[in-house]
Amino acid sequence: MRKEDLVVNNPLRVLGMGMKPKDDQQRMGLIMARAGLGKTAILVQIALDSILRGNRVLHVSIGEGVDKTRAWYDDILDLMVAGQKVDDLQEMVAEIMAKRMIMTFKESSFGPAKLEERLQDLIQQDIFRPDCMIIDGYDFATTNHAQLEEFKSFMVRHGLKTIWFSAISHRTDERVSAAGVPAPCHELDDLFEMILMVVAEKDAIKLNLLKCSSGAIAPGTSLLLDPSTMLIKKG
Amino acid sequence: MSVDLSKMRNIGISAHIDSGKTTLTERILFYTDRIHAIHDVRGKDGVGAKMDSMELERERGITIQSAATYCNWKGIDINIIDTPGHVDFTVEVERALRVLDGAVLVLCSVGGVQSQSITVNRQMDRYNVPRIAFINKCDRTGANPARVTGQLREKLGLNAHMIQLPIGLENDLLGVVDLVTMKAIYFDGANGEIMRQEEIPAGLQAAADVLREELLEAVSMFSDELMEAMLEEQAIEPSQVVEAIRKGTLALGFVPVMVGSAYKNKAVQPLLDAVQAYLPCPTDVENVALDLDHDEVEFKVSNDRNDPLIMLAFKLEDGRYGQLTYVRTYQGKLNKGDSIINVRTGKKVKVGRLVRMHSDEMEEIDGCGAGDIVALFGVDCASGDTFTDGTMSCSMSSMHIPAPVISLSVIPVDNKSQINMSKALNRFTKEDPTFKTFVDHETNETIISGMGELHLEVYVERMKREYNAVVEVGAPQVAYRETISMRADFNYTHKKQTGGSGQYGRVAGFMEPLEEGEYEFVDQIVGGSIPREFISSCDKGFQKSMVKGSLCGAPITGVRCTISDGAFHAVDSSDMAFQQAALGAFREGYMKAGPVIMEPIMKVAVEGPTEFQGAAMGSINQRRGIIIGTTEEGQYTVVEAEVPLSEMFGYSTTLRSLTQGKAEFTMEFATYRPVPKSVGEELIKKFQDEKKNS
Repeated sequence: MRKEDLVVNNPLRVLGMGMKPKDDQQRMGLIMARAGLGKTAILVQIALDSILRGNRVLHVSIGEGVDKTRAWYDDILDLMVAGQKVDDLQEMVAEIMAKRMIMTFKESSFGPAKLEERLQDLIQQDIFRPDCMIIDGYDFATTNHAQLEEFKSFMVRHGLKTIWFSAISHRTDERVSAAGVPAPCHELDDLFEMILMVVAEKDAIKLNLLKCSSGAIAPGTSLLLDPSTMLIKKG
Repeated sequence: MSVDLSKMRNIGISAHIDSGKTTLTERILFYTDRIHAIHDVRGKDGVGAKMDSMELERERGITIQSAATYCNWKGIDINIIDTPGHVDFTVEVERALRVLDGAVLVLCSVGGVQSQSITVNRQMDRYNVPRIAFINKCDRTGANPARVTGQLREKLGLNAHMIQLPIGLENDLLGVVDLVTMKAIYFDGANGEIMRQEEIPAGLQAAADVLREELLEAVSMFSDELMEAMLEEQAIEPSQVVEAIRKGTLALGFVPVMVGSAYKNKAVQPLLDAVQAYLPCPTDVENVALDLDHDEVEFKVSNDRNDPLIMLAFKLEDGRYGQLTYVRTYQGKLNKGDSIINVRTGKKVKVGRLVRMHSDEMEEIDGCGAGDIVALFGVDCASGDTFTDGTMSCSMSSMHIPAPVISLSVIPVDNKSQINMSKALNRFTKEDPTFKTFVDHETNETIISGMGELHLEVYVERMKREYNAVVEVGAPQVAYRETISMRADFNYTHKKQTGGSGQYGRVAGFMEPLEEGEYEFVDQIVGGSIPREFISSCDKGFQKSMVKGSLCGAPITGVRCTISDGAFHAVDSSDMAFQQAALGAFREGYMKAGPVIMEPIMKVAVEGPTEFQGAAMGSINQRRGIIIGTTEEGQYTVVEAEVPLSEMFGYSTTLRSLTQGKAEFTMEFATYRPVPKSVGEELIKKFQDEKKNS
């Protein structure tokens, strides 16, 4: 199996990810789930898919260590290629390492300004110029519309194509937006081009599309999440 | 010497560089009356710490060799090994942890869990060593023991909980609150030798209550009695908590975290109490040996002094009076004048002198027994040898010895230095299994190899100081390797007829990359196309071929050679003929199998103030490094990267100038990876030029 096959056969294609946008607009995506339902696993799969499509990914992990985040990538990649004979796996692993960088922050010290400062270090010295950014563990309960807008302008300034966030929803908080986006992101959903929600049902974990602003994919489209491996599967 | 093994502790003190291990050991020796004055590692009196006995250690303020000592605290005999913090001397930590029953993991309250703390913790895991964490330097600006405890959980995955709370921090550090007894302890007197117990200061009561609650919740998992008392909301006795902490620690399920400042003489005595209360005695730990008479079946050593003797030699040192062999006794006893058998060589040796070590000083003893760590004089052996009294044949499992990654040539300046250098090298290679030496027959140069620049630098310096061997040192060389990237067939006939009996042998088969391991030989010969007696000749021939690759002269690794066909001649075939045929077959297959040069890649961690993160990342990027990630914690940042070793020479100077000396880095071997094409071409060209010129 070639690297290209992993890209073509990736279930994320169902959600239209990786399709060339019609304009140069920067896009923000959001994965929502209750605690422990696999947000990080999904973000890592999105990141790996992006890397295999040739993009550079900056993975920002808030409250987790570098080793733990790196272990997610190693484990997910192992699961993705398990039982398949991949041509030049070593080369693929080397490419992933070269096109991925992990930054970790304490919850209390993270913000767009701090991130931009760090990113400038990387870009100015031509060390790493990301195309996609993953922000895992951002505290949506204490953020607001203006702060998230900063990320949008930040993307424009640094030529980022996408940023994917993860957010925790709580069973006890029943607030929900018109598009069905639960709290704490119910008043922020206009900022995201794509929103996915992980829902645990009786005999399956589903990854439901709540919003796709390009209109290419209809809301309600869903994928499945293998509960034992946390790998995304076609529904 | 006590024989009640429950009153004995064999412990190691290990940590990242400059966390204060040696200072802590110095205070332990002071409070246990083993020394009568405190000397600091880089003290103004110039004496240096007791455990840094080597002149070079005192000058540089680092520990190079692990040093053993013992002391007695409240009736408990404690054997202590103070180990080096620098990763280049990691084998010292490795062999200490192999023979110790428990350990104190020292951490800096500012630096927290640093790269070498991770390595040391991994080594402790490898040998199942129960541990106590001691967060030292709580008097330093920026001290934050709570953050470090969090890191112990997050970064090392330990179930670590504070059993003490500092009273004040930085300049205001006054003492500690013991969360087991819920008392405040202060350290009075010129050297903190007077412990004063008081009630917890009102301002700390709430914090102490919260932490104690967390502690009880964590350790109650290991004690039904405590769990029951908590559920029934009964008063909890300190002894119940101690018992639960001990059980958790011994089961490797819990790590008690203590705080203090060895330099400021704060809270070292409670640490000694904790060593006694929570770390194992020899009988608490399960050590196994291999029964060589019964297919190397594992059996548990008894720790009984009445059973046959089993001892492991874990460290050798050549001193003024001959070879000093450090041994750990696992069962039985040994008296001066007894004869013992080296299981590996079968040689019988008489033990003339037995000593207990106190850094570089020795105390003559008449005997030792199970649980003891002592040293023997005049016993010739290698590190890792097992000794018995001859009534049983068994071997203790070996230690993990990493392979050297860096080498350099040493050229003696005159004849006298030449003679002295060989004496020195002979000794160093015997003492340190990670230090190797050989003569490159093509250049006729002596090459020394080790774990890093500092490691080799120290040996070159020791050659000069201890042996008066002055040498010129060549540029450091990286230990490259060659391997193959694809399967290739071979079919080679070795035929020689030059009068007299000839040589004939044909070897056919294939070679392929071996994912794990260095070399594998597979015999698929059927029908006797190669007679059985010559199969091992083929194996030998392949192995000879792997000593030096044809790309850059580096050893070849990761190859599986399979022979499936061949031919022989009734008269002209011989062992030599088939070895030659295998050599030719290997050469033929090797060039078709996509050979590549591999270089050692180091895991590098640069730590320093956040303002220098950009500079640190830039410097790694310029060295073909891949930045894995960055961690930002307050004003402190860590950049983790993988960098080829060949690019790391002189990095400490670069980093120092880039960061005004405020950042430091550590590195350790991570893996071997193929070199980029341009680097490979350069190495091949250099090797060919050298061959032409030699």
